[in-house]
Amino acid sequence: MISVTPKALSADAHKLDLTKLTSEQTALDIKGLNLHYGKKQALQDITMSIPKGQVTAFIGPSGCGKSTLLRCINRMNDLVDGCHISGEINLHGENIYGKHVDIASLRRKVGMVFQRPNPFPKSIYENVVYGLRIAGENNRRVLDDAVEKSLRSAALWNEVKDRLHESALGLSGGQQQRLVIARAVAIEPEVLLLDEPTSALDPISTLTIEELINDLKKQFTVVIVTHNMQQAARVSDQTAFMYMGDLIEYNDTNTLFTTPMKKQTEDYITGRYG
Amino acid sequence: MNTWFKSGSPWVWLSAGGVSISLISVLGLLWLIASKGLSYFWPSELYQFDMLDEHGKQSVVIGEIYDREQIPVSQLAHLNLKLAKDQEVIERLLVKTGNRELVSLDFRWILSTNITKTSKPKDLAVVERRTNGNFYGYIDSLVLDGKPVDTEKLPELLERVEQFQAEIEELQKVDIGAINYQLESLRLKTKSLALKDKLTVSKQKEIDDETQALKEEYQTLEQNLMALRDQISRDHIVMRAMDGQLVTINFEHILQVNFNNQLGFFDKFALFLSQIGGFLMDDPREANTEGGVFPAIFGTVLMVLLMTVIVSPFGVIAAIYLHEYAGKNALTKLLRIAVINLAGVPSIVYGVFGLGFFVYMVGGSLDQLFYPEALPSPTFGTPGVLWSAITLAILTLPVVIVSTEEGLSRIPSAMRHGSLALGATKAETLWRIILPIASPAIMTGIILAIARAAGEVAPLMLVGVVKMAPNLPLDGNFPFLHLDRKFMHLGFHIYDVGFQSPNVEAARPLVYATALLLVTIIVALNMTAVSIRNKLRERYKMLEH
Repeated sequence: MISVTPKALSADAHKLDLTKLTSEQTALDIKGLNLHYGKKQALQDITMSIPKGQVTAFIGPSGCGKSTLLRCINRMNDLVDGCHISGEINLHGENIYGKHVDIASLRRKVGMVFQRPNPFPKSIYENVVYGLRIAGENNRRVLDDAVEKSLRSAALWNEVKDRLHESALGLSGGQQQRLVIARAVAIEPEVLLLDEPTSALDPISTLTIEELINDLKKQFTVVIVTHNMQQAARVSDQTAFMYMGDLIEYNDTNTLFTTPMKKQTEDYITGRYG
Repeated sequence: MNTWFKSGSPWVWLSAGGVSISLISVLGLLWLIASKGLSYFWPSELYQFDMLDEHGKQSVVIGEIYDREQIPVSQLAHLNLKLAKDQEVIERLLVKTGNRELVSLDFRWILSTNITKTSKPKDLAVVERRTNGNFYGYIDSLVLDGKPVDTEKLPELLERVEQFQAEIEELQKVDIGAINYQLESLRLKTKSLALKDKLTVSKQKEIDDETQALKEEYQTLEQNLMALRDQISRDHIVMRAMDGQLVTINFEHILQVNFNNQLGFFDKFALFLSQIGGFLMDDPREANTEGGVFPAIFGTVLMVLLMTVIVSPFGVIAAIYLHEYAGKNALTKLLRIAVINLAGVPSIVYGVFGLGFFVYMVGGSLDQLFYPEALPSPTFGTPGVLWSAITLAILTLPVVIVSTEEGLSRIPSAMRHGSLALGATKAETLWRIILPIASPAIMTGIILAIARAAGEVAPLMLVGVVKMAPNLPLDGNFPFLHLDRKFMHLGFHIYDVGFQSPNVEAARPLVYATALLLVTIIVALNMTAVSIRNKLRERYKMLEH
């Protein structure tokens, strides 16, 4: 069994029943989601509810569909040719795969941070306000405030406040990733999707980002995909284990890591495969 | 030996050899045109040859040595030369003797065996003239207002002439040119009003009054011009040619008088620079074989810039559609292949297309619609700088499309996804993220387009280039940029001077000089574009992951 941090244990005290969340407690409600890439089925009948204001982690071996599921939540899979999706994902009771959904405004509500830091080749300032400018905000004072607020909540303000107008490409990898988080936070989404946010970073930057995730859940619902089980144990409140496109087990992190109910989960977290 | 082959060094040598050969040929080419072109401007020594020909006739030849040639004696057997027994070759000199009013040919070949004495007299002068080429000879006397004066006064008189010439030029080109332009506009206005049946008596009177005023102005200007001409033709110089004849040259025709044999190195260098300056800044004279090439430089640069302005947006828009919006199907592939193949169509075909479509069809329709008053003389329905620029824009369009597309496909998808995930639409992502990052690639396409367009001559001969354009396409008369005008082009100028001129020997160095200038201009245009591209690259460079 993997060692569990005291933090995850303390979450045990007020754990939620994930099968019976009230609509106030639910951020995302996924129902019967199937996804095909051409003829190949990548997700099979996924049904789960993701609670509001908490950190939910998707774990599983490579190719299990955890990133694909994450990308379904802000419809990034729409960009993939030959991708076909059935089922529902409800954000506040509204199906994001419904007919009249404006994808751009959906993505404003569901922000996303990618595996590799991808700052735009602009200044730090312009990177942070990009989403706001797209939304039509041009008031200098509003933008300045948003930059400070977002960079503070991404724990980057103190490092970059004197060089906001220098190129973002001059930052280190860890700083770039936090800048990208700040950029996503600036448009104040309801849900923040993190797709293996620390896999390209060194251990110290990883630690900073993990601390940051703990702060972020005070404002946002966070969904994180990670390869690293310790990371899932450290930062998440709920964990979903996926394997070969199926959701095998979904429970609060503490329970899943200490007393897994399925054999496959136990094999994976004890390192027998994956 | 085997291990030597295996080590790969033969391939290294082979590729290094390939690079060296390419470099040597490019540098050799540049060296050839630079040396031949620039030596044209260097003031050469003036020689006096005392000659005694095979019939025992004595003569004097004065001029510059242009070329030397070794010819075998066997070719000259018919001349019955008195030669040393073992002599097999004889040197022959090509001498530029000028003095076109005395002998029709500027050049003559002389055999070195006929020369009895070669000297470089200090008081030998070369007179550069506006017409009839150079005159070589001695200054016999100066005539000022009909009275002979001391030859010491020559520089002073030349300066005075130069001032008057500048004034005359200003009068002719700017003032009289503007009046002619206004008179033509008034004439067209009358015709236009008549065509629309709106030419009332009062309007006709108005126009007549204006015309009258302009004509009066013209009269005064013409009187001024005549007065200046009188001033300038007051003085004469009397020159003694090589055969002793006295020739009177009016100062009106004189550009420069130089005693090349008296010049030191620095004087020669100064003269060399001023000759180059004249070549760059003056108008051509004597059927383009003398004078400068300024209108051709201006025409080339203006046409290329216009072309760039036209081709860039179209090429970029087409590439964006092909890469971002067109479905990934057989039709798109076919379209892409067609675009690439367009680059292989011979340029003269574009010229024919430009003439048929742009000049006659589009230009003809424009004339019918907007310039009916000028018909039957066409405004846009005739070759001009606009049609040349558009034709070359089509010619270079594939280059821009292909480079832009390549640039677009090089952009990491993380950039697009990053922007889309922030709620940007595809169009916003393109405009704010993709295009700025692709801008260096777009600049590369523009650089290639400029390089190709600036060197293209064949299609231009059909759609707008002329041997001699009376006006620049840009001048002080509203609307300043006259896109309908024909223009001169350095590439065509080379062809014209080198192959169409009546005086081939005289034109040869000019061909080299013009070629050097054309290369320099293309390189300068390219370097400008390259430096812009490097700035953009620096700004949008991706960090290596």
